[in-house]
Amino acid sequence: MKKTFLLVLLIFTSIINSQTDKLKITGKVTDSQGKGIPGVTVTFESSNTSTDLDGTYSISVKNSKSILRFTSIGYAPQIVVVGKNKTIDITLMESKTELDDVVVIGYGTQKKSNVTGSISKYTNDKLDDAPVSRIDQALQGKIAGVQIQNISSEAGADTKITIRGISSINAGADPLVVVDGQPIPDGLASINMADVASVEVLKDAASAAIYGSRGASGVILITTKSGKADKAKFSFKVTTGVKMDYKRYNLLSTSEYTQLLFKEQAIRNTDPAVQAEGVSNPNALNMYYQGSGTKINNLIAAYIIEQTMLGGKGYNYQDEVLRTANYRNIQLSATGGTKSMKYFVSGGYQTDEGIMLKSNFDKLNFRTKLDLDLSKRVKLSVNLNPSFQSKDSPSENLTNFWRYPSWLPAYHNNLTAAFVNQIPQWGAIQAGDFAQPRHFLGLNYFPTYPDGSQLLMPDGNPYWLIGGAQTNTIIGGNPFNSSQNNPMSSLLMHDINAKSYGLQSGATLTVNLLPGLDFKTMNTFYLKYDTKNNWSDKNADADGMLSKGVYSYNSYIDLLSENTLNYKKEFDNHSLDIVAGYTVQKTKTETSQTTGLGYPSNDINTLNNALYIDKSGTYGYKNQIGLMSYLGRVNYAFKNKYLVSASYRADGSSYFGPGRKWGSFPAASVGWAAKKESFLSKVDWLSKLTFRTSYGVSGNNRILNYGFQNLLYSANYTFGPGNGSQTSGQAQTSTITSNSDITWESTYQTNFGLDFSILKNRVNLTVDVYRSLTDKLLLQQAQMAFSGVPLAWNNIGSLYNKGFEIELSSTNVKTNSFKWTTSANLSHTENKIRELGNEAYLLNYGERNEIYKSVVGGPLIQYFGYKTNGIWTSQAEINASGLTSNLPSALRPGGLKLVDVNGDGVLDTNDRTIIGNPYPDFTWGLTNTFTYKALDFSFTWQGVQGGKLINGDANYSETRSRNVSYNSNRWLSPQNPGDGKTPYEDIGFNWMLTDYVVEDASYFSLRDISFGYKLPEKFAKQIGLSSLRLYTTAQNVYFHFASGYRGINPEGRATSGPYSSALIGGYQRGSFPMVKAFAFGVDINF
Amino acid sequence: MKNLVKYLIVFIVLITFGCSDVIDLKSESNISVENFYANYTDLQVGLTSCYKGMQAPLSEEWSMTELRSDNTVENSGTSTSTVKHDLTYLDQFYPPTTHQGVYNYWLKTYNNIRNTNIVLNASGANYNESNGAIEYTPVTIPVTLAQCKGIAAEASFIRAYHYFNLVRLFGGVFLIHEPITPEQAKQINRTSVTAIYKLIEADLKNAITNGISSSYSGNSSDLGHSNKWAAEALLAKVYLTLNRKAEASVLLQDVINNSGYSLQSTYGNVFSVNNEMNSEILFAIRFKGGGLGMGNPLPNNFAPVNSGNAIINGDGDGYNSPALEIIKTSSSYTNYIDPSAARFATNISSFTKGNAATTYFVNKYMSPTIIAYDAESDWPVLRYADVLLMKAEADGNVTSSLGYINQVRVRAGLAALTSINVSTTANFEKALASERRWEFAFENQRWFDIMRFTTTMTSVSPATDQFPNLKIQGAEYVMKKHLNNMWTKLYSGFTVLPIQLNQLLSNANPDRFLLPIPQYEIDTNSFITIQQNPSY
Repeated sequence: MKKTFLLVLLIFTSIINSQTDKLKITGKVTDSQGKGIPGVTVTFESSNTSTDLDGTYSISVKNSKSILRFTSIGYAPQIVVVGKNKTIDITLMESKTELDDVVVIGYGTQKKSNVTGSISKYTNDKLDDAPVSRIDQALQGKIAGVQIQNISSEAGADTKITIRGISSINAGADPLVVVDGQPIPDGLASINMADVASVEVLKDAASAAIYGSRGASGVILITTKSGKADKAKFSFKVTTGVKMDYKRYNLLSTSEYTQLLFKEQAIRNTDPAVQAEGVSNPNALNMYYQGSGTKINNLIAAYIIEQTMLGGKGYNYQDEVLRTANYRNIQLSATGGTKSMKYFVSGGYQTDEGIMLKSNFDKLNFRTKLDLDLSKRVKLSVNLNPSFQSKDSPSENLTNFWRYPSWLPAYHNNLTAAFVNQIPQWGAIQAGDFAQPRHFLGLNYFPTYPDGSQLLMPDGNPYWLIGGAQTNTIIGGNPFNSSQNNPMSSLLMHDINAKSYGLQSGATLTVNLLPGLDFKTMNTFYLKYDTKNNWSDKNADADGMLSKGVYSYNSYIDLLSENTLNYKKEFDNHSLDIVAGYTVQKTKTETSQTTGLGYPSNDINTLNNALYIDKSGTYGYKNQIGLMSYLGRVNYAFKNKYLVSASYRADGSSYFGPGRKWGSFPAASVGWAAKKESFLSKVDWLSKLTFRTSYGVSGNNRILNYGFQNLLYSANYTFGPGNGSQTSGQAQTSTITSNSDITWESTYQTNFGLDFSILKNRVNLTVDVYRSLTDKLLLQQAQMAFSGVPLAWNNIGSLYNKGFEIELSSTNVKTNSFKWTTSANLSHTENKIRELGNEAYLLNYGERNEIYKSVVGGPLIQYFGYKTNGIWTSQAEINASGLTSNLPSALRPGGLKLVDVNGDGVLDTNDRTIIGNPYPDFTWGLTNTFTYKALDFSFTWQGVQGGKLINGDANYSETRSRNVSYNSNRWLSPQNPGDGKTPYEDIGFNWMLTDYVVEDASYFSLRDISFGYKLPEKFAKQIGLSSLRLYTTAQNVYFHFASGYRGINPEGRATSGPYSSALIGGYQRGSFPMVKAFAFGVDINF
Repeated sequence: MKNLVKYLIVFIVLITFGCSDVIDLKSESNISVENFYANYTDLQVGLTSCYKGMQAPLSEEWSMTELRSDNTVENSGTSTSTVKHDLTYLDQFYPPTTHQGVYNYWLKTYNNIRNTNIVLNASGANYNESNGAIEYTPVTIPVTLAQCKGIAAEASFIRAYHYFNLVRLFGGVFLIHEPITPEQAKQINRTSVTAIYKLIEADLKNAITNGISSSYSGNSSDLGHSNKWAAEALLAKVYLTLNRKAEASVLLQDVINNSGYSLQSTYGNVFSVNNEMNSEILFAIRFKGGGLGMGNPLPNNFAPVNSGNAIINGDGDGYNSPALEIIKTSSSYTNYIDPSAARFATNISSFTKGNAATTYFVNKYMSPTIIAYDAESDWPVLRYADVLLMKAEADGNVTSSLGYINQVRVRAGLAALTSINVSTTANFEKALASERRWEFAFENQRWFDIMRFTTTMTSVSPATDQFPNLKIQGAEYVMKKHLNNMWTKLYSGFTVLPIQLNQLLSNANPDRFLLPIPQYEIDTNSFITIQQNPSY
């Protein structure tokens, strides 16, 4: 009754009003093409309304002098004085800059012109044109200060992302990834590129400090697409393409290598010094000369096989395992809504084959995003993103393929099968079966083989005349005495499949409490459930192996509640934005693994069929991580000219021990929009000039769980009679010692920024200069091995980072039909260790005993080893040098000539010195975009200048002997020293410890090119579509290596196992080749 | 306004009751050390892990000892595998200071020393460096002093075992006898050989005084634990090494008279997996096969490459191959070959595939396995036969000594020696040394024996005509002779790491008989300079 009364009263009064002093205005708001725009806000003083689906509106105003304001995101706002007309139709101009004007920041958004920190925003609705499976790969070279490195080219593999250099030594240095306000633990892996509306990167500490303990390495904010109040729109996009390797190793086959050795021997024989050494000097060279050494015989056995049974052309493992792979990405989305209910629904399916056999990555994503206005004051936003990924990984590293000798085919042919059938054990082998090294052991190798052909040696002599040795048979030759299967057969006999089921979901309720004051509570649930099956057939790696299935499960459940109060107020010349909040996050993980062995058949591989369960491969762990925080921030602007922002966050983390859990992270920044001053407002060519400066503290808590206490692990033993009975034992077997005092690592960063635009925003320049100090480094410090544990957690030392970033964008040409824009970015960063507690330096050992030195005053790590100066050409030269050494093989003709750095006449460990570091001088990206009528064309160059890597390929004797990059122009004898720089393959000091393997890691690449054609609208309409675009893209069409780099992928790095520490970096070990890709796609909207 | 209050209340409630237990978490899967030792059972659980910790260094121990001796060699001269290269460096006495195997052995050994220090500390047992004794202080947990002493005795034995190996392989190492912090560790330098032996003696005396003293029983649940007798035998070996033969003799006499241990009837029986912890085993590092994560990896390491399942399930790595000298077929080295066919067959076997050359391998520990690197076989550390031969070594050429040697010989199926065979000290020492070599072949004894004989049995390896110019004797003579033999037969054919004879022989010098202190240790300490062993 009461309600009815009020309603009647309301209607009555409004009628009265309209009759007296109010005007009712109606009209239609359209876009430049005359189409109605729904959802435009029409404001008169404090009342407002919004347009309907067709763009019509009606509003009451006071009188003809009233002012109406039309605003809508994506369009330039317009102000109209009512005047005489009661119907006011408005055309709103689309405004790209207006859309860009808002940036997402931590716990809110901000007008771009008011930003005082250092935030990069990247938007590109064609991001998902690129034939890559991950968004980070598509972002390479696009954002200043963000270095993205494809350390592995395996399908779906993680990249390494570094924002503003390395700010942490041992704690995790990956940036925090936040999707729609929700921190995501597994980074960018599960993001569907097609769902992304914008990417913001918080680079300076002041911007990231609001994320407190997790902000030190920068924050990447992903905002996904939302619905708009409009008719349902559908989008369908298919991209399909092929990928292949950019470059392979140039390797010699067994025949070519044998021929090389003979050719070299012929040259060597002309050197009197070699003949003088005679046969009594059994070094490797004389082995070839004598023809009686094991190596030559085995090699000749291999040569005979290749020449007589494989037609002289070996099996190329590298070529066989690499393939032209397929890529397909299908995206479908629907978006639309009403004033009070907007939706965005998408589904994507992506299948991405790796360029190596058995490498596949499939991804299935759904996203539902609903924005509901439950009432005038209450808004609800629901985000639901289930995803599924399936990844097949090859069991063998590509290294094992290019290392493998060519004489051994992956499969037997008729000739090889008949040959090995001579051994009763291999009597049943047929053509098409896997060929293994063991099949060829202990057979007699004749020069006439089996097809009757007479074999001549590479020097043209009959076989039995090599080196004068009068033999015509190799009795019981062992061309390759290895028990391991050939890598192709191992690869095919293993199945490694990981499936990941994910659910990112969240609900945000926003309640408008008072004008300008909102209470927002976001509650999210993140689930990730991974299963991995690692199956090996019987005899998969070698003879005598049981079939084996390893089943692991991993669950990750993360609950987050964020509760904030936001207050926004604009009055007179002031604008104020305040956030205060409380968040709590809890993560539970569970891991288990079961290993079953001995299955009745390779086709049945579930655990119920296993004969044995292996305890050493069977375990289960649980873990919990908790974080609770209080945060607050004030953004204040006076006349949008003087800008101030201050924030504070306090974090409590379960990673640290009692009394050490809490840390606080304050930040402040100021800005001055100078262009808005009266003395600049009349300078026409200048469109924007803003100075920014900020200072803030962000932290890092990412260490192993429970790093503050030593934990015990199972260490059981057997006691008692007979075979004994198992007895429980518990020991500290962790490889790192705890430290009860460890706490936050803090990064203090100062940033100076300048935003500069001229010629009506045609040219925009942003420059940021920063300097940061990371203090109390969470350090996995090497400790004395006699402590029993090689590492210990510590909180010592500090590290400086400084650098700058430049972002430039310009509209070079803009006519009605042609537009050319350029965007470029350049960044430079350098770091320096300020102190390491009371240590002068730290040394860390890598996989090949190469050493990484961290020394106070120097960059974070530097390679530490021996300098070389070419090679020793002769014994006489060694004698003349007067040097002595206890280092193994340091003084050998044909070996590397180490430099006696300290000049004491002895080559020893004291001669080790700094031989390079991994840090680039500059990273840069350059994108040009052209549009001409319906055509669009763009290309991106991306590069890294400077920095060195340690090329681990040289560790393999196969590389040194058969890789053309390593054996050309090498030393052969004192009179034939080659180029004087290239040592002989197996002579002299260990290459891996010297600067001989330290190579320039610079590169630049034509990262992507894309070309598109958009069907003119009238044709599209005729076939019932709102738009249709065809496009083709290519990746890495050109890749430039630095001179001196001998590998195939300067981006490749290995950081696995115990060597995955920031103190061990720049080491490259036989990574995948770079991937070149071509794709074609169609994008349909209706 | 009402709404505001309402929501603020919700907000405040959330904050206040926002469970501080969110960040106060304990590990659900592992106990922390700080809270662990609360009662006697916990001490036992800790002690058990010290036994477990003895397994790890065995993975490298053979390459530090047997491989470097004249018993076994690394014979893959064409292999490009880094692991095999590292073995060649050890075999031919030129390991780099960054040698991975040396570092692993060092780290694993010190890791278990750390475990024993934690248990000793928890039992209130402290080493007094000045008077060289283990002293007990009361502990706060509810255990009796006797219980503490029982635990500490065994931990002491294990610690002494590790230091005894370290001091013989590396010389004066770092003396760590209590839990230390990483900061303290950087202030500790190497100590003298004497100081290490002082701790070893103190530990073994503690183990003798407080250890299990009951005599051997084949069905005791204590089997596998160290006891008084094992400690006496180990201390006797320490004394022999220090050339304190009289003290060794007394301890060995006690074991012979009172321990209840005895020889098995046949040599093969000693190592059978069906006869583990038999009356001859004073102490063994135990393994248990069958997929329990407690198996012995060494049989697979020692089985020949490419043998599939013929020797042991899951193929072999071909490590630790018997040197040509001690293989029966090479007639030129008859003096080195074990005259006991039964013993030879247990120790060495061969494998032939196709026309390929026959491979000889260490057969001693082969036992049926289900899973690769998971064998049942225990690793013998102290055997009764060792006690008998040590007793003979301690007492010298007296009648009773001949009796001890003959007990071992007769069990191996050989004729007893008569006093005529050992008419001179040289003959006696030669007979004893040979017996030890054959009896303990591949038990990681030979290297230490060679080193010890250099001081205790000077006649056994005199300077002879083989290297007249060098005037060397003892270990250097033995090793040079071995390397010389092996160069002709094997090393000269190495093509991947080729070596010249003169280089090889000069490698085998007494300085190089000690291993290098891992470079890691020297590099890690930026405070004090740690002295490397000479010649590295």
